[in-house]
Amino acid sequence: MNRAPKVAPLTIALPKGRLLDRFNEHLASRGITISFEDRKLIAEDDSHKLRGFLVKNTDLPVYVHHGIAGLGVCGEDVLYESGYDFFRLLRFSFGNTRMCLAARAGANGRKENDTSRLAVATKFTRFTRDFFQARGIPVEIIKLNGSVELAPLLGLAPYIVDLVETGSTLQANNLTIVEELEKIGVYLIANPAYYKFHFRRVDELVNLLDEHGGGITRGGAT
Amino acid sequence: MTKRARSLLRIPQGTEAFYLEEAYRHRKLTLHIEEIMYRWGYLPVQTPVFDFFEVYEPLFSGTDERNIYRLIDREGDLLMLRSDITLFLARQMGMVLTEEDLPVRACYFDTILRHQHAEDISKNEFFQAGAELIGRPGLRGDLEIVLLMHEVLTSLPLPECRYHVGSHALFEACFGHLEPAEKGRIRHLITVRDRSELAEELHMRGTGEQGARFLCELFMLIGEGSDLAQIARSGASRRLLAGPAENAIRHLQSVFDVLTELGVENFFRVDLSEVGRQPYYTGIVFQAFMDGMDDSVASGGRYDSLLSTFGFSAPSVGFSMMLRKLETALTDGSRYNVQEKPISATGVTSEDDSMESVAQAHRKAQEIRRRGGSATL
Repeated sequence: MNRAPKVAPLTIALPKGRLLDRFNEHLASRGITISFEDRKLIAEDDSHKLRGFLVKNTDLPVYVHHGIAGLGVCGEDVLYESGYDFFRLLRFSFGNTRMCLAARAGANGRKENDTSRLAVATKFTRFTRDFFQARGIPVEIIKLNGSVELAPLLGLAPYIVDLVETGSTLQANNLTIVEELEKIGVYLIANPAYYKFHFRRVDELVNLLDEHGGGITRGGAT
Repeated sequence: MTKRARSLLRIPQGTEAFYLEEAYRHRKLTLHIEEIMYRWGYLPVQTPVFDFFEVYEPLFSGTDERNIYRLIDREGDLLMLRSDITLFLARQMGMVLTEEDLPVRACYFDTILRHQHAEDISKNEFFQAGAELIGRPGLRGDLEIVLLMHEVLTSLPLPECRYHVGSHALFEACFGHLEPAEKGRIRHLITVRDRSELAEELHMRGTGEQGARFLCELFMLIGEGSDLAQIARSGASRRLLAGPAENAIRHLQSVFDVLTELGVENFFRVDLSEVGRQPYYTGIVFQAFMDGMDDSVASGGRYDSLLSTFGFSAPSVGFSMMLRKLETALTDGSRYNVQEKPISATGVTSEDDSMESVAQAHRKAQEIRRRGGSATL
Protein backbone atom coordinates (compact mmCIF):
# COMPACT_ATOMS: atom_id res chain seq x y z
CA MET A 1 0.00 0.00 0.00
CA ASN A 2 1.38 3.41 -0.95
CA ARG A 3 1.35 5.91 1.80
CA ALA A 4 2.54 9.48 1.45
CA PRO A 5 5.50 10.08 3.79
CA LYS A 6 4.40 11.72 7.03
CA VAL A 7 5.26 15.40 6.93
CA ALA A 8 6.10 17.05 10.23
CA PRO A 9 3.70 19.87 11.10
CA LEU A 10 4.82 23.46 10.80
CA THR A 11 5.73 24.86 14.20
CA ILE A 12 4.29 28.10 15.49
CA ALA A 13 4.81 29.99 18.75
CA LEU A 14 1.63 31.58 20.07
CA PRO A 15 1.42 34.28 22.71
CA LYS A 16 -0.57 33.64 25.87
CA GLY A 17 -3.42 36.02 26.53
CA ARG A 18 -5.84 38.05 24.47
CA LEU A 19 -3.85 37.81 21.26
CA LEU A 20 -4.13 34.02 21.33
CA ASP A 21 -7.93 34.21 21.41
CA ARG A 22 -7.98 36.61 18.47
CA PHE A 23 -5.58 34.46 16.46
CA ASN A 24 -7.50 31.27 17.26
CA GLU A 25 -10.71 32.90 16.07
CA HIS A 26 -9.02 33.83 12.83
CA LEU A 27 -7.54 30.36 12.46
CA ALA A 28 -10.93 28.76 13.10
CA SER A 29 -12.46 30.93 10.38
CA ARG A 30 -9.99 29.24 8.01
CA GLY A 31 -10.91 25.77 9.23
CA ILE A 32 -7.98 25.13 11.58
CA THR A 33 -8.32 24.63 15.32
CA ILE A 34 -5.51 24.33 17.81
CA SER A 35 -6.87 23.58 21.28
CA PHE A 36 -4.54 23.59 24.23
CA GLU A 37 -5.80 21.15 26.82
CA ASP A 38 -5.83 22.29 30.42
CA ARG A 39 -2.38 23.71 31.31
CA LYS A 40 -0.72 22.05 28.31
CA LEU A 41 1.63 24.27 26.37
CA ILE A 42 1.98 22.21 23.17
CA ALA A 43 -0.88 21.26 20.85
CA GLU A 44 -1.51 20.26 17.24
CA ASP A 45 -4.46 20.95 15.00
CA ASP A 46 -6.59 17.96 13.92
CA SER A 47 -5.00 17.70 10.49
CA HIS A 48 -1.47 17.84 11.99
CA LYS A 49 -0.50 20.77 9.81
CA LEU A 50 0.43 23.04 12.69
CA ARG A 51 2.05 22.42 16.06
CA GLY A 52 1.58 25.34 18.43
CA PHE A 53 3.73 26.26 21.44
CA LEU A 54 2.17 28.52 24.02
CA VAL A 55 4.77 31.01 25.23
CA LYS A 56 5.00 34.27 27.09
CA ASN A 57 4.58 37.20 24.72
CA THR A 58 8.04 38.62 25.32
CA ASP A 59 9.72 35.20 25.00
CA LEU A 60 8.14 34.51 21.62
CA PRO A 61 10.90 36.12 19.49
CA VAL A 62 13.51 34.05 21.35
CA TYR A 63 11.80 30.77 20.38
CA VAL A 64 11.47 31.82 16.75
CA HIS A 65 14.99 33.28 16.58
CA HIS A 66 16.44 29.96 17.71
CA GLY A 67 14.26 28.03 15.26
CA ILE A 68 12.51 26.11 18.05
CA ALA A 69 9.31 27.44 16.54
CA GLY A 70 9.57 28.26 12.85
CA LEU A 71 6.67 30.70 12.90
CA GLY A 72 5.11 33.01 15.45
CA VAL A 73 2.30 35.47 16.03
CA CYS A 74 3.68 38.60 17.58
CA GLY A 75 3.10 42.31 18.06
CA GLU A 76 5.49 44.77 16.46
CA ASP A 77 6.34 46.21 19.88
CA VAL A 78 7.74 42.89 21.08
CA LEU A 79 9.51 42.26 17.78
CA TYR A 80 11.25 45.61 17.98
CA GLU A 81 12.38 45.10 21.54
CA SER A 82 13.86 41.70 20.66
CA GLY A 83 16.23 43.24 18.11
CA TYR A 84 16.09 40.13 15.91
CA ASP A 85 15.41 40.03 12.18
CA PHE A 86 12.41 37.95 11.18
CA PHE A 87 10.41 37.63 8.01
CA ARG A 88 7.00 39.23 8.47
CA LEU A 89 4.67 37.15 6.37
CA LEU A 90 1.29 38.72 7.18
CA ARG A 91 -0.11 41.64 9.09
CA PHE A 92 -3.31 40.78 10.87
CA SER A 93 -6.25 43.13 11.18
CA PHE A 94 -6.63 42.39 14.89
CA GLY A 95 -4.48 43.54 17.78
CA ASN A 96 -3.75 46.99 16.35
CA THR A 97 -2.59 49.46 18.93
CA ARG A 98 -0.47 52.61 19.29
CA MET A 99 2.83 53.34 20.99
CA CYS A 100 2.30 56.66 22.77
CA LEU A 101 4.13 59.20 24.89
CA ALA A 102 1.91 60.12 27.85
CA ALA A 103 2.07 62.41 30.88
CA ARG A 104 -0.17 63.56 33.74
CA ALA A 105 -3.08 65.57 32.41
CA GLY A 106 -2.03 69.22 32.27
CA ALA A 107 1.57 68.48 33.21
CA ASN A 108 3.12 68.33 29.73
CA GLY A 109 5.60 71.17 29.60
CA ARG A 110 7.13 70.20 26.27
CA LYS A 111 6.64 72.34 23.20
CA GLU A 112 6.61 71.17 19.60
CA ASN A 113 10.15 70.54 18.27
CA ASP A 114 11.47 70.58 21.83
CA THR A 115 14.81 68.73 21.83
CA SER A 116 15.60 69.07 25.54
CA ARG A 117 16.31 66.03 27.68
CA LEU A 118 13.39 63.70 28.31
CA ALA A 119 12.88 61.32 31.25
CA VAL A 120 10.66 58.37 30.43
CA ALA A 121 9.51 55.25 32.27
CA THR A 122 8.69 52.37 29.94
CA LYS A 123 8.72 48.66 29.20
CA PHE A 124 9.85 49.48 25.68
CA THR A 125 13.39 50.72 26.28
CA ARG A 126 14.84 49.91 22.86
CA PHE A 127 12.00 51.54 20.97
CA THR A 128 12.05 54.62 23.24
CA ARG A 129 15.80 55.09 22.95
CA ASP A 130 15.84 54.67 19.15
CA PHE A 131 12.75 56.79 18.56
CA PHE A 132 13.90 59.83 20.50
CA GLN A 133 17.55 59.56 19.55
CA ALA A 134 16.48 59.58 15.86
CA ARG A 135 14.83 62.93 16.64
CA GLY A 136 17.97 64.23 18.33
CA ILE A 137 16.39 64.14 21.79
CA PRO A 138 18.53 62.79 24.66
CA VAL A 139 16.40 60.41 26.66
CA GLU A 140 16.77 59.04 30.16
CA ILE A 141 14.97 55.73 30.43
CA ILE A 142 13.70 53.98 33.54
CA LYS A 143 12.88 50.37 32.77
CA LEU A 144 9.64 49.06 34.26
CA ASN A 145 7.90 45.73 33.72
CA GLY A 146 4.28 46.71 34.29
CA SER A 147 1.80 49.27 35.69
CA VAL A 148 3.80 51.94 33.91
CA GLU A 149 0.99 54.46 34.46
CA LEU A 150 2.06 54.73 38.09
CA ALA A 151 5.40 56.34 37.21
CA PRO A 152 4.15 59.90 36.52
CA LEU A 153 1.60 59.68 39.34
CA LEU A 154 4.20 58.75 41.95
CA GLY A 155 6.92 61.00 40.57
CA LEU A 156 9.27 58.32 39.21
CA ALA A 157 9.34 59.97 35.77
CA PRO A 158 7.20 62.73 34.23
CA TYR A 159 6.58 60.75 31.01
CA ILE A 160 5.81 57.20 29.99
CA VAL A 161 5.99 55.41 26.65
CA ASP A 162 3.43 52.64 26.48
CA LEU A 163 0.94 50.84 24.27
CA VAL A 164 -2.46 52.47 24.13
CA GLU A 165 -5.47 50.62 22.77
CA THR A 166 -8.55 52.55 23.92
CA GLY A 167 -6.92 55.05 26.26
CA SER A 168 -9.22 54.12 29.15
CA THR A 169 -6.38 53.05 31.48
CA LEU A 170 -4.62 56.36 30.90
CA GLN A 171 -7.81 58.26 31.52
CA ALA A 172 -8.56 56.33 34.70
CA ASN A 173 -5.16 57.36 36.03
CA ASN A 174 -5.47 61.00 35.03
CA LEU A 175 -2.91 60.66 32.25
CA THR A 176 -3.13 62.03 28.75
CA ILE A 177 -1.51 61.21 25.41
CA VAL A 178 1.17 63.76 24.54
CA GLU A 179 1.97 62.20 21.19
CA GLU A 180 1.24 59.05 19.22
CA LEU A 181 4.70 57.75 18.28
CA GLU A 182 3.94 54.71 16.13
CA LYS A 183 1.11 52.46 15.01
CA ILE A 184 1.69 48.89 16.17
CA GLY A 185 0.38 45.82 14.32
CA VAL A 186 0.38 42.07 14.87
CA TYR A 187 2.31 39.90 12.44
CA LEU A 188 2.79 36.32 11.41
CA ILE A 189 6.58 36.05 11.56
CA ALA A 190 9.04 33.40 10.43
CA ASN A 191 12.58 32.45 11.32
CA PRO A 192 14.38 33.25 8.02
CA ALA A 193 16.15 29.87 7.78
CA TYR A 194 12.92 28.03 8.59
CA TYR A 195 11.03 29.97 5.97
CA LYS A 196 13.69 29.28 3.34
CA PHE A 197 13.71 25.55 3.99
CA HIS A 198 9.91 25.20 4.16
CA PHE A 199 8.93 28.11 1.93
CA ARG A 200 6.33 26.24 -0.14
CA ARG A 201 4.41 24.93 2.88
CA VAL A 202 4.70 28.22 4.73
CA ASP A 203 3.43 30.11 1.67
CA GLU A 204 0.47 27.70 1.54
CA LEU A 205 -0.34 28.54 5.15
CA VAL A 206 0.03 32.24 4.47
CA ASN A 207 -2.31 31.97 1.50
CA LEU A 208 -4.79 30.04 3.60
CA LEU A 209 -4.75 32.65 6.35
CA ASP A 210 -4.92 35.36 3.70
CA GLU A 211 -7.42 33.60 1.45
CA HIS A 212 -10.44 35.85 1.78
CA GLY A 213 -8.64 39.06 2.54
CA GLY A 214 -10.48 39.55 5.81
CA GLY A 215 -8.43 42.61 6.67
CA ILE A 216 -5.08 40.86 6.42
CA THR A 217 -2.46 42.54 4.31
CA ARG A 218 0.67 40.91 2.98
CA GLY A 219 3.53 42.09 5.13
CA GLY A 220 7.27 42.17 4.86
CA ALA A 221 9.93 41.79 7.48
CA THR A 222 11.30 43.35 10.62
CA MET B 1 30.80 31.58 47.63
CA THR B 2 34.19 33.30 47.43
CA LYS B 3 35.02 35.89 44.78
CA ARG B 4 37.56 33.45 43.34
CA ALA B 5 34.99 30.65 43.11
CA ARG B 6 32.53 33.01 41.43
CA SER B 7 35.09 34.15 38.88
CA LEU B 8 35.86 30.52 37.99
CA LEU B 9 32.21 29.97 37.13
CA ARG B 10 32.05 32.86 34.67
CA ILE B 11 32.26 32.03 30.97
CA PRO B 12 33.02 34.86 28.53
CA GLN B 13 30.41 35.20 25.76
CA GLY B 14 31.57 33.83 22.42
CA THR B 15 33.96 31.18 23.70
CA GLU B 16 33.63 27.43 23.88
CA ALA B 17 35.59 24.51 25.22
CA PHE B 18 34.84 20.88 24.56
CA TYR B 19 36.58 17.83 25.86
CA LEU B 20 37.67 14.24 25.33
CA GLU B 21 34.98 12.21 23.49
CA GLU B 22 33.27 15.30 22.11
CA ALA B 23 36.59 16.83 21.04
CA TYR B 24 37.58 13.48 19.49
CA ARG B 25 34.39 13.41 17.44
CA HIS B 26 34.98 17.01 16.34
CA ARG B 27 38.54 16.15 15.23
CA LYS B 28 37.39 13.05 13.34
CA LEU B 29 34.72 15.05 11.58
CA THR B 30 37.24 17.73 10.69
CA LEU B 31 39.62 15.07 9.34
CA HIS B 32 36.80 13.60 7.25
CA ILE B 33 36.09 16.99 5.67
CA GLU B 34 39.81 17.68 5.25
CA GLU B 35 40.19 14.42 3.31
CA ILE B 36 37.45 15.48 0.89
CA MET B 37 39.04 18.90 0.44
CA TYR B 38 42.46 17.34 -0.24
CA ARG B 39 40.94 15.04 -2.87
CA TRP B 40 39.54 18.13 -4.58
CA GLY B 41 43.04 19.65 -4.61
CA TYR B 42 42.68 22.04 -1.68
CA LEU B 43 45.56 22.59 0.76
CA PRO B 44 45.26 23.93 4.29
CA VAL B 45 45.95 27.49 5.34
CA GLN B 46 46.47 28.59 8.93
CA THR B 47 45.58 32.20 9.64
CA PRO B 48 46.71 34.32 12.62
CA VAL B 49 44.45 34.62 15.63
CA PHE B 50 44.61 38.42 15.59
CA ASP B 51 45.47 41.17 13.16
CA PHE B 52 45.27 44.96 12.88
CA PHE B 53 41.67 46.14 12.99
CA GLU B 54 42.22 48.99 10.50
CA VAL B 55 43.10 46.49 7.74
CA TYR B 56 39.57 45.08 7.77
CA GLU B 57 37.53 48.04 9.04
CA PRO B 58 36.20 49.18 5.62
CA LEU B 59 34.77 45.69 5.03
CA PHE B 60 32.57 45.44 8.09
CA SER B 61 28.88 46.10 8.38
CA GLY B 62 27.62 47.61 11.65
CA THR B 63 26.56 44.29 13.19
CA ASP B 64 29.77 42.51 12.28
CA GLU B 65 31.85 45.29 13.74
CA ARG B 66 29.94 45.31 17.03
CA ASN B 67 30.60 41.59 17.48
CA ILE B 68 34.36 41.80 17.03
CA TYR B 69 36.63 41.50 20.04
CA ARG B 70 39.26 44.23 19.93
CA LEU B 71 42.40 44.81 21.97
CA ILE B 72 45.32 47.22 22.08
CA ASP B 73 48.89 46.02 21.53
CA ARG B 74 51.99 47.35 23.29
CA GLU B 75 52.52 50.02 20.59
CA GLY B 76 48.96 51.27 21.03
CA ASP B 77 47.64 49.78 17.77
CA LEU B 78 44.11 48.42 17.71
CA LEU B 79 43.97 44.69 17.06
CA MET B 80 41.04 42.40 16.38
CA LEU B 81 40.59 38.73 17.12
CA ARG B 82 39.80 36.47 14.15
CA SER B 83 36.03 36.73 13.68
CA ASP B 84 35.78 35.49 10.09
CA ILE B 85 38.41 33.29 8.50
CA THR B 86 37.65 34.31 4.90
CA LEU B 87 38.80 37.85 5.63
CA PHE B 88 41.97 36.80 7.42
CA LEU B 89 42.74 34.29 4.68
CA ALA B 90 42.21 36.88 1.93
CA ARG B 91 44.64 39.21 3.70
CA GLN B 92 47.29 36.48 4.07
CA MET B 93 46.89 35.27 0.49
CA GLY B 94 46.99 38.85 -0.76
CA MET B 95 50.43 39.22 0.82
CA VAL B 96 52.06 36.03 -0.44
CA LEU B 97 50.50 35.11 -3.80
CA THR B 98 51.77 36.05 -7.25
CA GLU B 99 50.09 35.71 -10.67
CA GLU B 100 52.11 32.57 -11.36
CA ASP B 101 50.67 30.80 -8.33
CA LEU B 102 47.08 31.01 -9.59
CA PRO B 103 44.74 29.28 -9.31
CA VAL B 104 45.20 28.46 -5.63
CA ARG B 105 42.91 26.13 -3.72
CA ALA B 106 42.93 26.78 0.03
CA CYS B 107 40.95 25.23 2.84
CA TYR B 108 40.77 26.05 6.53
CA PHE B 109 39.51 24.58 9.78
CA ASP B 110 39.76 26.87 12.74
CA THR B 111 38.10 28.59 15.64
CA ILE B 112 36.60 32.02 15.33
CA LEU B 113 36.05 34.47 18.16
CA ARG B 114 33.18 36.87 18.09
CA HIS B 115 30.89 38.31 20.69
CA GLN B 116 27.73 36.33 21.15
CA HIS B 117 24.74 37.65 23.04
CA ALA B 118 23.86 35.63 26.13
CA GLU B 119 20.55 34.56 24.59
CA ASP B 120 22.34 33.39 21.42
CA ILE B 121 24.28 30.79 23.34
CA SER B 122 23.05 27.91 21.17
CA LYS B 123 24.13 29.43 17.86
CA ASN B 124 27.36 27.42 17.86
CA GLU B 125 29.37 29.81 15.71
CA PHE B 126 32.72 28.88 17.16
CA PHE B 127 34.42 26.88 14.43
CA GLN B 128 34.59 27.56 10.71
CA ALA B 129 35.58 25.10 8.01
CA GLY B 130 35.73 26.24 4.44
CA ALA B 131 37.36 26.42 1.06
CA GLU B 132 38.48 29.27 -1.17
CA LEU B 133 39.28 29.01 -4.86
CA ILE B 134 41.54 31.93 -5.71
CA GLY B 135 42.24 33.00 -9.28
CA ARG B 136 39.47 31.09 -11.03
CA PRO B 137 36.78 33.36 -12.55
CA GLY B 138 33.49 32.37 -14.14
CA LEU B 139 31.22 29.38 -14.25
CA ARG B 140 33.85 26.70 -13.63
CA GLY B 141 35.03 28.32 -10.39
CA ASP B 142 31.50 28.93 -9.12
CA LEU B 143 30.48 25.34 -9.78
CA GLU B 144 33.60 23.83 -8.27
CA ILE B 145 32.91 25.59 -4.97
CA VAL B 146 29.17 24.92 -4.94
CA LEU B 147 29.68 21.25 -5.76
CA LEU B 148 32.47 20.86 -3.19
CA MET B 149 30.16 22.26 -0.52
CA HIS B 150 27.44 19.86 -1.67
CA GLU B 151 29.82 16.91 -1.53
CA VAL B 152 31.01 17.77 1.98
CA LEU B 153 27.47 18.14 3.29
CA THR B 154 26.09 15.03 1.61
CA SER B 155 29.06 12.93 2.78
CA LEU B 156 28.01 13.50 6.39
CA PRO B 157 25.08 11.81 8.14
CA LEU B 158 23.01 14.99 8.12
CA PRO B 159 19.43 15.82 7.17
CA GLU B 160 19.17 16.94 3.54
CA CYS B 161 20.23 20.46 2.73
CA ARG B 162 18.65 22.90 0.35
CA TYR B 163 20.98 25.43 -1.25
CA HIS B 164 19.52 28.82 -2.06
CA VAL B 165 21.51 30.44 -4.84
CA GLY B 166 21.26 34.10 -5.79
CA SER B 167 23.39 36.77 -7.37
CA HIS B 168 25.02 39.83 -5.89
CA ALA B 169 25.90 40.81 -9.46
CA LEU B 170 22.18 41.08 -10.27
CA PHE B 171 21.66 43.27 -7.21
CA GLU B 172 24.60 45.51 -8.22
CA ALA B 173 23.32 45.72 -11.79
CA CYS B 174 19.95 46.97 -10.54
CA PHE B 175 20.97 49.12 -7.56
CA GLY B 176 24.73 49.76 -7.90
CA HIS B 177 24.11 53.37 -8.90
CA LEU B 178 22.51 54.26 -5.54
CA GLU B 179 24.24 55.94 -2.61
CA PRO B 180 25.70 53.40 -0.11
CA ALA B 181 23.04 54.12 2.52
CA GLU B 182 20.18 53.72 0.02
CA LYS B 183 21.76 50.59 -1.40
CA GLY B 184 22.17 49.18 2.10
CA ARG B 185 18.52 49.87 2.89
CA ILE B 186 17.33 48.11 -0.28
CA ARG B 187 19.69 45.19 0.33
CA HIS B 188 18.25 44.80 3.83
CA LEU B 189 14.66 44.91 2.56
CA ILE B 190 15.44 42.25 -0.05
CA THR B 191 17.30 40.05 2.44
CA VAL B 192 14.40 40.13 4.91
CA ARG B 193 11.95 39.73 2.01
CA ASP B 194 9.94 42.83 2.87
CA ARG B 195 7.93 43.04 -0.30
CA SER B 196 5.72 45.99 0.61
CA GLU B 197 8.47 48.18 2.08
CA LEU B 198 10.69 47.38 -0.88
CA ALA B 199 8.02 48.45 -3.34
CA GLU B 200 7.52 51.67 -1.38
CA GLU B 201 11.25 52.35 -1.19
CA LEU B 202 11.72 51.80 -4.93
CA HIS B 203 8.77 54.02 -5.68
CA MET B 204 10.30 56.74 -3.50
CA ARG B 205 13.55 56.46 -5.44
CA GLY B 206 11.70 57.28 -8.66
CA THR B 207 11.20 53.78 -10.03
CA GLY B 208 7.86 53.71 -11.87
CA GLU B 209 5.03 51.57 -10.53
CA GLN B 210 5.50 48.84 -13.12
CA GLY B 211 9.28 48.81 -12.63
CA ALA B 212 8.95 48.69 -8.83
CA ARG B 213 6.53 45.78 -9.05
CA PHE B 214 8.79 43.92 -11.47
CA LEU B 215 11.91 44.43 -9.31
CA CYS B 216 9.99 43.32 -6.19
CA GLU B 217 8.82 40.12 -7.83
CA LEU B 218 12.27 39.53 -9.28
CA PHE B 219 14.12 39.80 -5.98
CA MET B 220 11.45 37.84 -4.07
CA LEU B 221 11.74 34.88 -6.45
CA ILE B 222 12.44 31.48 -4.94
CA GLY B 223 12.11 28.70 -7.47
CA GLU B 224 13.87 26.47 -9.93
CA GLY B 225 16.37 26.97 -12.71
CA SER B 226 13.56 27.04 -15.26
CA ASP B 227 12.12 30.14 -13.59
CA LEU B 228 15.22 32.04 -14.68
CA ALA B 229 14.56 31.20 -18.32
CA GLN B 230 11.01 32.53 -17.90
CA ILE B 231 12.31 35.78 -16.46
CA ALA B 232 14.86 36.17 -19.23
CA ARG B 233 12.13 35.65 -21.85
CA SER B 234 9.59 38.00 -20.28
CA GLY B 235 8.83 41.29 -21.96
CA ALA B 236 9.16 43.21 -18.67
CA SER B 237 12.64 41.82 -18.19
CA ARG B 238 13.73 42.85 -21.66
CA ARG B 239 12.31 46.33 -21.15
CA LEU B 240 13.49 46.92 -17.60
CA LEU B 241 16.77 45.07 -17.16
CA ALA B 242 19.99 46.39 -18.63
CA GLY B 243 22.86 44.29 -20.00
CA PRO B 244 24.71 43.53 -16.72
CA ALA B 245 21.48 42.33 -15.07
CA GLU B 246 20.69 40.11 -18.04
CA ASN B 247 24.20 38.72 -17.88
CA ALA B 248 23.83 37.96 -14.17
CA ILE B 249 20.59 36.07 -14.81
CA ARG B 250 22.14 34.22 -17.76
CA HIS B 251 25.09 33.23 -15.58
CA LEU B 252 22.79 31.81 -12.90
CA GLN B 253 20.93 29.94 -15.65
CA SER B 254 24.22 28.38 -16.76
CA VAL B 255 24.97 27.33 -13.17
CA PHE B 256 21.58 25.62 -12.92
CA ASP B 257 22.00 24.02 -16.37
CA VAL B 258 25.15 22.27 -15.14
CA LEU B 259 23.52 21.27 -11.84
CA THR B 260 20.64 19.76 -13.86
CA GLU B 261 23.07 17.97 -16.16
CA LEU B 262 24.70 16.46 -13.04
CA GLY B 263 21.32 15.41 -11.63
CA VAL B 264 21.64 17.38 -8.38
CA GLU B 265 19.27 20.23 -9.23
CA ASN B 266 16.70 19.12 -6.64
CA PHE B 267 19.05 20.20 -3.88
CA PHE B 268 19.32 23.71 -5.32
CA ARG B 269 16.85 26.56 -5.50
CA VAL B 270 17.11 29.85 -7.31
CA ASP B 271 16.59 32.50 -4.64
CA LEU B 272 17.10 36.04 -5.85
CA SER B 273 16.56 37.42 -2.33
CA GLU B 274 20.01 35.96 -1.64
CA VAL B 275 22.17 38.98 -2.39
CA GLY B 276 25.06 38.18 -0.06
CA ARG B 277 25.45 38.64 3.67
CA GLN B 278 28.80 40.36 3.24
CA PRO B 279 29.33 43.55 1.28
CA TYR B 280 32.40 42.15 -0.52
CA TYR B 281 30.52 39.65 -2.69
CA THR B 282 30.48 40.38 -6.42
CA GLY B 283 28.80 37.42 -8.17
CA ILE B 284 27.03 34.23 -7.24
CA VAL B 285 26.00 33.96 -3.54
CA PHE B 286 24.46 31.06 -1.68
CA GLN B 287 23.35 29.68 1.66
CA ALA B 288 22.69 26.10 2.76
CA PHE B 289 19.60 25.47 4.88
CA MET B 290 18.69 22.39 6.87
CA ASP B 291 15.50 21.49 8.70
CA GLY B 292 15.60 22.30 12.41
CA MET B 293 18.45 24.80 12.20
CA ASP B 294 18.13 28.36 13.46
CA ASP B 295 20.27 29.77 10.65
CA SER B 296 22.05 28.66 7.49
CA VAL B 297 24.68 25.98 8.08
CA ALA B 298 26.97 27.09 5.27
CA SER B 299 27.27 30.13 3.04
CA GLY B 300 29.53 31.64 0.47
CA GLY B 301 29.90 33.34 -2.84
CA ARG B 302 32.17 35.02 -5.34
CA TYR B 303 34.29 37.94 -4.19
CA ASP B 304 36.37 39.12 -7.13
CA SER B 305 37.50 42.39 -5.52
CA LEU B 306 38.21 41.29 -1.94
CA LEU B 307 41.85 40.33 -2.41
CA SER B 308 42.62 43.63 -4.11
CA THR B 309 41.65 45.30 -0.80
CA PHE B 310 44.76 43.58 0.52
CA GLY B 311 47.04 44.47 -2.38
CA PHE B 312 46.64 41.55 -4.80
CA SER B 313 43.88 41.22 -7.34
CA ALA B 314 42.48 37.76 -8.07
CA PRO B 315 38.91 36.64 -8.77
CA SER B 316 37.89 34.27 -6.00
CA VAL B 317 34.99 32.23 -4.77
CA GLY B 318 34.53 30.26 -1.56
CA PHE B 319 32.29 28.94 1.15
CA SER B 320 32.43 28.43 4.88
CA MET B 321 30.43 26.26 7.21
CA MET B 322 29.82 26.44 10.93
CA LEU B 323 31.09 23.03 11.91
CA ARG B 324 29.90 23.05 15.53
CA LYS B 325 26.40 23.84 14.31
CA LEU B 326 26.55 20.88 11.92
CA GLU B 327 27.73 18.58 14.70
CA THR B 328 24.47 19.18 16.54
CA ALA B 329 22.55 17.97 13.46
CA LEU B 330 24.38 14.67 12.86
CA THR B 331 21.71 12.01 12.58
CA ASP B 332 24.23 9.25 13.30
CA GLY B 333 27.50 10.55 14.63
CA SER B 334 28.61 7.13 15.81
CA ARG B 335 31.18 6.67 13.08
CA TYR B 336 33.07 9.66 14.50
CA ASN B 337 32.84 8.46 18.10
CA VAL B 338 35.61 6.72 20.03
CA GLN B 339 35.10 3.16 18.80
CA GLU B 340 36.49 1.16 21.71
CA LYS B 341 38.09 1.73 25.06
CA PRO B 342 41.89 1.28 25.10
CA ILE B 343 43.09 -2.07 26.42
CA SER B 344 45.02 -1.99 29.67
CA ALA B 345 48.38 -3.70 29.03
CA THR B 346 49.09 -3.82 32.77
CA GLY B 347 46.35 -6.29 33.55
CA VAL B 348 46.14 -7.69 37.08
CA THR B 349 49.64 -6.52 38.03
CA SER B 350 48.64 -2.88 37.93
CA GLU B 351 49.88 -2.30 41.49
CA ASP B 352 53.30 -3.70 40.62
CA ASP B 353 55.64 -0.82 39.74
CA SER B 354 58.72 -2.98 39.40
CA MET B 355 61.01 -2.41 36.42
CA GLU B 356 60.16 -5.80 34.91
CA SER B 357 56.41 -5.29 35.23
CA VAL B 358 56.41 -1.78 33.67
CA ALA B 359 58.70 -2.89 30.82
CA GLN B 360 56.55 -5.94 30.16
CA ALA B 361 53.39 -3.84 30.12
CA HIS B 362 54.97 -1.36 27.71
CA ARG B 363 56.04 -4.18 25.35
CA LYS B 364 52.53 -5.62 25.45
CA ALA B 365 50.93 -2.22 24.85
CA GLN B 366 53.22 -1.56 21.88
CA GLU B 367 52.24 -4.91 20.39
CA ILE B 368 48.53 -4.02 20.70
CA ARG B 369 49.18 -0.61 19.12
CA ARG B 370 51.18 -2.21 16.27
CA ARG B 371 48.14 -4.37 15.52
CA GLY B 372 46.03 -1.21 15.25
CA GLY B 373 44.44 -1.26 18.69
CA SER B 374 44.83 1.32 21.42
CA ALA B 375 46.40 0.44 24.74
CA THR B 376 47.39 2.04 28.02
CA LEU B 377 50.06 1.12 30.53
